[in-house]
Amino acid sequence: MTDARSAIFAAIATPSRPPADIARAASALLARVPALRPDRVGDDVAAAFFARVTGPAIGASGAKVASLSDVPGAVGAYLAAHDLAARVAVQPHPALLDLPWRDIVAHRDIAVDEPVAIGIADYAVAETGSLVFRSGAHTPTLFAFLPLHHIVVVRADGVMAWLEDCAAAESRLPAPRNLNLVTGASGTTDIEGALVRGAHGPGYLHVILVQSPL
Amino acid sequence: MSTAFTARVDAALADRTLKIAIDRTTGTARSKRAAAVAAWPHFQQARALGRDIKAHVTANLAHYLAEFERNAIASGAQVHWARNAEEACEIVIGLCRQAGARSVTRAKSMLGEEIGLPHALAEAGIERVETDLAEHIVQLAGDTPSHIVWPALHKTREQVGELFRANHADPGALASVEAMVGSARRQLRAKFMAADVGISGANFLIADTGAICTVTNEGNAELTTTPPRVHIVTAGIEKLVPSLSHAMSLLRLLVRSATGAELTQYTTFHCGPKRAGDADGPQAFHIVLVDNGRSKMLTDGLAEMLSCLRCGACLNHCVVYRHIGGHAYGGTYPGPMGSVLTPVLDGLETSNDLPKACTLNGQCQEVCPVMIPLPTLLRGWRDRSWREGLEPATVRGAVWAWRLMVMRPGLYRLATRIAVPMMRLFARRGWIAAMPLAGGWTRHRDFPAPARQTFMDQIRQQRGQS
Ligand code: SF4
Repeated sequence: MTDARSAIFAAIATPSRPPADIARAASALLARVPALRPDRVGDDVAAAFFARVTGPAIGASGAKVASLSDVPGAVGAYLAAHDLAARVAVQPHPALLDLPWRDIVAHRDIAVDEPVAIGIADYAVAETGSLVFRSGAHTPTLFAFLPLHHIVVVRADGVMAWLEDCAAAESRLPAPRNLNLVTGASGTTDIEGALVRGAHGPGYLHVILVQSPL
Repeated sequence: MSTAFTARVDAALADRTLKIAIDRTTGTARSKRAAAVAAWPHFQQARALGRDIKAHVTANLAHYLAEFERNAIASGAQVHWARNAEEACEIVIGLCRQAGARSVTRAKSMLGEEIGLPHALAEAGIERVETDLAEHIVQLAGDTPSHIVWPALHKTREQVGELFRANHADPGALASVEAMVGSARRQLRAKFMAADVGISGANFLIADTGAICTVTNEGNAELTTTPPRVHIVTAGIEKLVPSLSHAMSLLRLLVRSATGAELTQYTTFHCGPKRAGDADGPQAFHIVLVDNGRSKMLTDGLAEMLSCLRCGACLNHCVVYRHIGGHAYGGTYPGPMGSVLTPVLDGLETSNDLPKACTLNGQCQEVCPVMIPLPTLLRGWRDRSWREGLEPATVRGAVWAWRLMVMRPGLYRLATRIAVPMMRLFARRGWIAAMPLAGGWTRHRDFPAPARQTFMDQIRQQRGQS
């Protein structure tokens, strides 16, 4: 094994440059990015995010609510509109568990075939309409993949403009096991290139944008 | 051309269903990509940046590999090194055995195909569950992938329906593509949760964190890498990027070039195993870094090919690929990028037909998101095939005779002056449909009749008149 490692390094034999020079070259490359990004954000990043995620390319549904306490009502409206039973798996996140769910039966353990789950994204990216989940005690990775309907709460002040902003934010935090960028419901084009939703992950994505800060 | 290659091409050309299947998927891919590129005014500058990022990594490969390894280990991952396909499979099988694995789920990885992992798992008696829909279709059909992004592109919906009806526990009516996708979802659901080991590839290796990135539209990668106790990644050593920010620039290019979307539905960075207190995730995370010819490409004039993002755009835009499909190429990677890579992986002796089965129209280079000069690299293989004496004696003889003639202008003029009127004898209305020694050409198309006089004679006459 160590043999293989040293053999590979010997075979590569790229000239060794001072690490500082390499780092300088690497950041010079990034300096070119802002001038060539597709210009698609504008001033109101939360509005840009909402428009993109609910637009035709991504095709999620969405609702805007004033504050977190309005979330159960918005979830109830979604369930009613889709003729779904009032039973949801709630991501074990304090911001969600503490909400008054009233006539919605909220449970914490997600089943392999969970019909509806509600989660909360750590933040979002306007450029691509992506929801970002950082795995952890309050954010099981599977929550974003097992349900058929995935309802996701995200705060307007948690929307970032660009993918590079996401990278910059992550570089200041300890890396989680999974950093998931979710951009729309699961889909596949594997049979004749035709897009079909609900391949293995959720078939439906519903975004609830909370306007006020927590 | 070798008989094996010609036979594969003949079979592909005779298969009408195949042509329909290829046209359906590559047609959609081309128009979606075109729309995505048209919506990005700075696409050309972005491609140049993509090329430069990858060139920077290639130029400092040892540095970034060492940095990646250091950070991956610090995050709790275990890093393994494999010089070639056999070593890579040995490591993966060893890890599966160590985990007492009876069943493994796999998220599509072209590197896994390249090193023959499906076969190695079967030999080890470990159940392999392909979770990508296309790979699932390929597995049921006992087939191999025919495209690097759409492995089952060679199957029509009708053929997929037949496979699912024969193999799925609860196929239902299968009246539409939606129903087929639903049937696969039901079929694979329990398998995801029951697997002991999940195996994935990596689209990027992030040097400054030790994370690996997967991109999927189905969500099968995360369902493969999260529930099992062990997650194993196999990745080529060229997949490095300096940081998450650099990965973002390449993701913009990769996804638009592959499917025309701005980002895949699921872009996930996996870093180390499950942390203490985490709600889910694997207990062990292994990364197998595979060379398998890559370090040699560095010194063999193929360094630029190490930039390849495996987006598949060069396949979708290749006139040859669109006629013969992926299987006719006979290697793991088809199309223009495959014709450059297969001689590295399988040896030039058995694959020197591939660089020749190219029209050099340059489409592939034009669409490549990292500006790889594919036609130049293919010409390099042609040169090498010639230098290494791999061309058949008849071809060498013909080129020798040609050289002899063109180096003697008098002889050349005499020969063309004889040939031109002879050829005109076979022409009807300006076209030659059949002529001795030209069967290879005229079997499939007519040959234009030459002008009455040779070019040199015409010039001489015109000069004389003026
Ligand atoms: S060679 Fe270029 S176009 Fe072809 S798969 Fe690689 S990155 Fe894509």
